Amino acid sequence: MTQAFYRKWRPQKWDEVLGQAHITDTLQNALVGSRVGHAYLFAGPRGTGKTTVARLLAKAVNCQAEDAAERPCDKCDYCKAVNENRFLDLIEIDAASNNGVDDVRDLRDKINFSPSQGQFKIYIIDEVHMLSTPAFNALLKTLEEPPPHAIFILATTEIHKIPATVLSRCQRHEFRRVPLDSIIQQLKIIADGENLDVDDEAAQLIARQSNGGMRDAISLLDQLSSTNERITLDLAQNVLGTATNETVIELIDGIRDENPGVGLQAIHRALDAGSDPRQLARQIVEYLRALMLVQMGNSDQIDATEDVKNRMDAHAKNFSASATLKMMRAFNAAAVDQRGGWQPSLGLELALADVLEINGGALAESAPAPVAQQPTKPKQDAARVRVASERDPGLAPAKRAAPQPQVKSEVAPHPTVSTEELVGAWTGIRARVKQSDRNLEALLNSCKSLEVKGDTLIIGMASEVLASKIEKPEQIASVQKAISGALGANLKIKTMVTTAKGKMPDDVDQNGLVAAAIQAGGEVVK
Amino acid sequence: MKENWNLLGHNWAVDMLRQHVSNGTQRHAYLFTGSRAVGRRSLALAFARALTCVQPPAPGAFCGSCRECRQIAKMQHPDLSIIQAEKEGGMLKVEQIRELRKSVLLAPYQAKYKIILLLRFQEANPSSANALLKTLEEAPSKVILLLTADNAEQLLPTIVSRCEVLRLRPVPTPKLETYLREKGADENKAEFLAHLSSGRPGYALSLLQDETELELRRETIEEFKMLLSASRVKKFDYAQKLSKDKEEFRATLLLWLSLWRDVMLYSAGDKKSIVNIDQRELIDILSVQLSFSEAKRLLESAEKGIGQLKRNVNARLLAENILLDFPKN
Repeated sequence: MTQAFYRKWRPQKWDEVLGQAHITDTLQNALVGSRVGHAYLFAGPRGTGKTTVARLLAKAVNCQAEDAAERPCDKCDYCKAVNENRFLDLIEIDAASNNGVDDVRDLRDKINFSPSQGQFKIYIIDEVHMLSTPAFNALLKTLEEPPPHAIFILATTEIHKIPATVLSRCQRHEFRRVPLDSIIQQLKIIADGENLDVDDEAAQLIARQSNGGMRDAISLLDQLSSTNERITLDLAQNVLGTATNETVIELIDGIRDENPGVGLQAIHRALDAGSDPRQLARQIVEYLRALMLVQMGNSDQIDATEDVKNRMDAHAKNFSASATLKMMRAFNAAAVDQRGGWQPSLGLELALADVLEINGGALAESAPAPVAQQPTKPKQDAARVRVASERDPGLAPAKRAAPQPQVKSEVAPHPTVSTEELVGAWTGIRARVKQSDRNLEALLNSCKSLEVKGDTLIIGMASEVLASKIEKPEQIASVQKAISGALGANLKIKTMVTTAKGKMPDDVDQNGLVAAAIQAGGEVVK
Repeated sequence: MKENWNLLGHNWAVDMLRQHVSNGTQRHAYLFTGSRAVGRRSLALAFARALTCVQPPAPGAFCGSCRECRQIAKMQHPDLSIIQAEKEGGMLKVEQIRELRKSVLLAPYQAKYKIILLLRFQEANPSSANALLKTLEEAPSKVILLLTADNAEQLLPTIVSRCEVLRLRPVPTPKLETYLREKGADENKAEFLAHLSSGRPGYALSLLQDETELELRRETIEEFKMLLSASRVKKFDYAQKLSKDKEEFRATLLLWLSLWRDVMLYSAGDKKSIVNIDQRELIDILSVQLSFSEAKRLLESAEKGIGQLKRNVNARLLAENILLDFPKN
């Protein structure tokens, strides 16, 4: 059995540790000046080199090389012993499994014995966040003043779980995520060493995938290398379950056009072709992030092909910055979602639905707002009616599912009426309706706005519930009858929800005077 | 299928693992993720057999008839330890991991490797997951750890980054359909089950062999139809009945979830991806009555309900709440 790459290629010298220069430099200087402390705490995300640096330090302090700058030499007996895991004075403790106070007491009892081989006895306590509170406390005195031959190195990914009393006794070193370039560099070194043929694009994809965790990147390379073929972008995409860029673009197109069908089909096609849903969600987030960068005028930070960049530019204009942000949040939730997988695509589908709902408002807000052609005020404000007229009601997702085929067939190419005429005759229409259906009349009485657009009458209602009450075929038919009786015109009827607060411009204080004015029918004049 | 380790789908994963075995480049830790019954355990066991088979017919394959193969298939191999929570939805305890840490230090009895199978590792509590970290990073030679989980996001990132992750994806429906037909299902049934199981061969097969679950599903759908036109009093009665058995409640919620999802897809115009293809009529009617966002809201309420049920909320209150969200006509 061969060793996993991340074990085989664990750095054995200081300069092999990439992306953590702020730590390795400090430690090397301490070594040269022989000012090595007695307790170190290494913290940072997974796969950034904590255990590796801890072992390097252990090796360096005991190394027999003449020149302190050369340590660890990786040649002397002690260095070799450490590499082979048989150095007696390097004691590596897995705190996650030896987390009790008894384990620490045991350590404390033995620490006073002088080292058997080297100059120092090194205690590496890995995953130290798992020590129990009594165990931490039992360690305190020893950690503060250990015998001169002992050095403690604590390593953890979760620094917030370490008591303050421990923190203050250690030199703390924070490991950072490894930059993309360093990861690519390391991947290339390993590929050369293992005689692997890796495409640049594939290396980049692997590096980006690993989110700054060197071990993740190397594991992935390891996984890909076993196929014995050239590691191409295709192969990497296949194993990672990455979808093509087209899928993401198509999905965003679907959102822009407020067409859930297109978006859902894009998702399902990608999943059927073998993409991983979470991976797809991450890709969408990445794309949206790029969109946001474009919107903020930072487009040179994006690395993408010309073609994709052009598409991004177009999309960036379609959405407002706040809409992009909200979309990012929704899809990010789908990417990190912890729910089990009854239906792997469910998270994505819900995110898409969420986004479409959010964008119902945000899109209209960002679109260039033309001046309303027919500002009318049947009862309430004109601003709201204008918003209603801007959006094509046929596309609004909330209304898609309410087709009235029988209504359409009745409509003849009659001369249409203007909004003013209709508003004038509204009382008469209501009276006619009242004769047949009193409840319906009451409903119509509570409408917030009326507008005629082409051959369609759009009735704005205060809530979804009220709107859905009107939207029954027989109700619609009786309203139509009343209208044709009063005005002699056949109109199609649509309803839409215009809540008073929902359409307030963003920059207006919801409780302020301006808001009150808008609610009373005012309009903002710039 | 013979060349695919007798497994349905996941060819890319099998190919890769086979390469690992035949080149002797297998690693010490693998993580198989995917939905329940998608084939995680089967793949892990097949991999274990390929590793230990004493007379492989081809490099990276296993014979299925030697002692090792048979013992592993029955999960009775002395060098195969299986560690899992005592029941599904239970918890994997830290003692189990401590025991494992001791046992990995021993040499294998008869096979080349000692294989540790950790099933449903998302059920491991934080201390057990942490206790495994060091072993998982640098396992003794001749030890291979195979983990399975619903998805990698549920595990500690430190666990995931120590394993080779194989994310298993649902098997494409047409493929599953053919497979079910080979197993003796007629055309309609094969199509129906392939859709219903949404690409999980294990689940589809269990449905094919055991009719009771389908019968239960049919009943639940009848009740669902009844609820759509029921009065509040009836709904509350039903809620009381539902809340008595949590397992059953959960199953019902899952079914509602799948139905609402279908309605949502239908009203969005995506008619191909639905799961309950035998209920097209019902879904069609509902999708006309409900808008996309209404369907989404119902879907969300069912989904949230499943999560809350796990967190031990008052089941009856939950049932009533969800039923009140149902569309009124």
